[in-house]
Amino acid sequence: MRSAFAYTPRPRPLQVASPGAAVAYLGALAAVAVAYSSPPVLLAVGAAAALAGTLAGAGRAVRAALRLAVPIAIAIVVVNALVVNRGETVLARLGDWPLLGQVDVTAEALAEGAVLGLRALVVMIAFAVYASCVDPDRVLRALRPLAGRSALTATLVSRLVPVAAADAARLRDAARLRGPGAAAVGRAPLARRLLAGSLDRAVDVAATLELRGYGLEASGGNGRPRRVARHPVARRARARRRDPRAGDPRRRRSRFDGRFYAVAAAVALAAVAGGLLGAGDFHAYPTIHLGVDGATLALIAVVLLSGLAPLRRLPRRRRALAAAPPPSRLRGPAAAPALEARRV
Amino acid sequence: MSELATRRAAPPALGIDGLTYRYPRASSAAISDLSLEIAPGEFVLLAGRSASGKSTLLKAACGLVPHFHGGEIEGSIAVAGLDAIESGPGKLAAAVGYLAQDPETQVVSTTVAAEIELPLEMRGDAPASRARAIEEVALALAIPHLLDRTVDTLSGGELQRVALAAALVTRPQLVLLDEPTSQLDPVAGDELIWLLRRLNEEWGVALLLAEHRLERCLAAADRVVAMDGGAIAFDGAPTAFLAWSHATDPTLSTPSARLFSLAGIDPLPTGVRNARAILESPAMAGVGGTTPSERLVLLGRPDLGRQPPPHPSKLREEGVVPPAPATLQARGLWVELSTGDELRDVLRGIDLDVSRGERIALMGRNGAGKSTLVRTAAGLVDPVAGKIQTPGGMALLTQNPSDYLVRERVGDELPGKQGMAALRVVGLEHAADVDPRDLSGGERQRLALAIALAGRMEGEELPGLIALDEPTRGMDRARKDELTELIERLAERGAGVVVATHDVEFAAAFAARVVLLGDGVVIADGPVGEILSGGWYFATEVARVLDLPGVVTPEQGAEALREGRAE
Repeated sequence: MRSAFAYTPRPRPLQVASPGAAVAYLGALAAVAVAYSSPPVLLAVGAAAALAGTLAGAGRAVRAALRLAVPIAIAIVVVNALVVNRGETVLARLGDWPLLGQVDVTAEALAEGAVLGLRALVVMIAFAVYASCVDPDRVLRALRPLAGRSALTATLVSRLVPVAAADAARLRDAARLRGPGAAAVGRAPLARRLLAGSLDRAVDVAATLELRGYGLEASGGNGRPRRVARHPVARRARARRRDPRAGDPRRRRSRFDGRFYAVAAAVALAAVAGGLLGAGDFHAYPTIHLGVDGATLALIAVVLLSGLAPLRRLPRRRRALAAAPPPSRLRGPAAAPALEARRV
Repeated sequence: MSELATRRAAPPALGIDGLTYRYPRASSAAISDLSLEIAPGEFVLLAGRSASGKSTLLKAACGLVPHFHGGEIEGSIAVAGLDAIESGPGKLAAAVGYLAQDPETQVVSTTVAAEIELPLEMRGDAPASRARAIEEVALALAIPHLLDRTVDTLSGGELQRVALAAALVTRPQLVLLDEPTSQLDPVAGDELIWLLRRLNEEWGVALLLAEHRLERCLAAADRVVAMDGGAIAFDGAPTAFLAWSHATDPTLSTPSARLFSLAGIDPLPTGVRNARAILESPAMAGVGGTTPSERLVLLGRPDLGRQPPPHPSKLREEGVVPPAPATLQARGLWVELSTGDELRDVLRGIDLDVSRGERIALMGRNGAGKSTLVRTAAGLVDPVAGKIQTPGGMALLTQNPSDYLVRERVGDELPGKQGMAALRVVGLEHAADVDPRDLSGGERQRLALAIALAGRMEGEELPGLIALDEPTRGMDRARKDELTELIERLAERGAGVVVATHDVEFAAAFAARVVLLGDGVVIADGPVGEILSGGWYFATEVARVLDLPGVVTPEQGAEALREGRAE
């Protein structure tokens, strides 16, 4: 089964946008989450990121991020409540604990923990949408002129991580299939086996890179060989390199780029203006204070609306067609009668 | 000199002279005093048993040996005029492409387009030139629809084509292929060979193809080089190779050549078309015939294959044979698996019964649901509807036996009496103190099967069902024969044996019954002679040559031909 966070190409605006536009858009949302501590603003950013992911077809990634992030957020709340004794509203006195000393659980520490947990959750949703919707190869290609080797390493890591996950699943299956009379397999031998397998994979990838001409890049570091051999093969290659056409027609800018850059700029401007106007006023200590003024509401509105950016508007004729599911979508045991005809 | 004149004076695509190579810490040389020359545009088939040095030769030709693997090397290798020992794989990349057995190991990018583009980027080609090259190679390999897909969503055949595209996109003069069809179903395997022949003819690419299933590609090759013990044992035309292998190493022979040699017909054919032409020649006095029914009459066997052996379940129903206990019962089995965004029905209402002692080949193209069926039977996958039961217990050996081996001593993997009993079943009781890594490929596979069996036997009685998933990947015929013997032993001892396989020749050798899956449903279920004859892709080479119902192995075909000639 593919990871929910694995990049999946879909014909949606966020996926076809250039990496710069997509990163700017999702980065603007994440930046607001980092810059503001106000729970309503954070909730708005989370809702916008989730909405964007759902509209981009990455609902599964959003749900997976929620499943992963909610326990983390709860853990942050609990830890913060136990280790921070600040705040005037004591809810419980838990006495002296080893290492922690006197532990008093305050409403303020709980509130601060909830804000930190919410922030982590929001950033994880935004990252899940990014991972599922933005082609890592295009991002890394954009970075190659700046840092060729680092970008290539990142490419390989982004490829090897899901491969290692698949290897781990296969090893777990093999462990389950061992007969009861075979020696039991604990986590340590499995981890050793996985590590050995990953090293083998890395060696294979290194060999493939050599075969794809990585040695040529070694001298330049930016994807351009420094020296051209005089061999006829190399001469033809050089002739092709002199091709006067500069751009790659496959990677021309998407018509949605402008939309995402504009939305990112609007969110960033709203965040800056909100900061100057005192929007998102929140502090937990010494007592909880939450200010919701007009500037805060305006910022929330802009952020929420930004979640609609990946909305795809179909032409009227295609909308009518999309309303009716094709007969080939018939799935599950209900399709059994239709399949009977195929049997021999 | 003009470009055309340069091409006419082109050096050999591959020139090897006096090559001797020893891997680091190896006791003997993997290649000994080997000399070989391949002309531009030549299609050369590299034959030989496992560990005969084929892969090492390919790695030397692309520079991985010695640059990547180390070791000691003598002699010279020239690829399109470049010194391979001096240059290394990076500099050779523009002149030579390499395709390994497992495409999973040679994909480094997330999307197909990026994977194909990588060699051009490394070479520093301009973006527009890269886009055109990608488009052209994608069209040549019929994969334009895959360009925007991620590599982890591709089937084995699609991934192999993508890896081939990445090897071809720089327009190399020589492409080296190391058993590229071993993981593909018959359809994808045949398509790949056809594609290689077309590239060879239209692009003028020289091909050096190492392969165990020679019947798949012998007819396409211009020349065959056979290796034995790191040296060239034969170098010549395909017809001469067949005569040589018949006399020297019959395990390298093809099914149609075995058919002809058993029937005493000369010359030996290089493929189905050639075999039919020989049979239909005047010298064969009409044995070939033109239609299956005509052939049957000419052969004096009009009854042959018309009444295939009855299905075991029918014989049991009629009381001809005593009912055998069921070891697998599937009723209305539906399985859904996630493919990213959506769920896909992989098995759709499967009904299947397997009895003790049966030998069943589970066949179908990639993605038909073979692995999912055996994994569901073993409890690794939960069905969404229907039932599946294995009343006598089950042992499953998955595609990669190495996944079962996690300790450094065979005895540590299988301790105690139960472990020793399992080792005895697979004939490895003598290897208790050996490191699994020191076992041969076939022995490692048997050890993994013993690990799956341990504790599932009552005394010496085997579990009711033993399933093997694609056990013949990368195996030569000698190892397949050993596996066939093991399967027969297991069935004789009362286990129902189900083997998911793409290998029709292997299925014809071991199975009594074939279950053919297509898109998650059972398309055909019957005796091996019935299912593996009369088709095209899921048919043995002998069945395709003779087109006689029920005749699938060289022995059966030779018997029919002998009888036809006697008439």
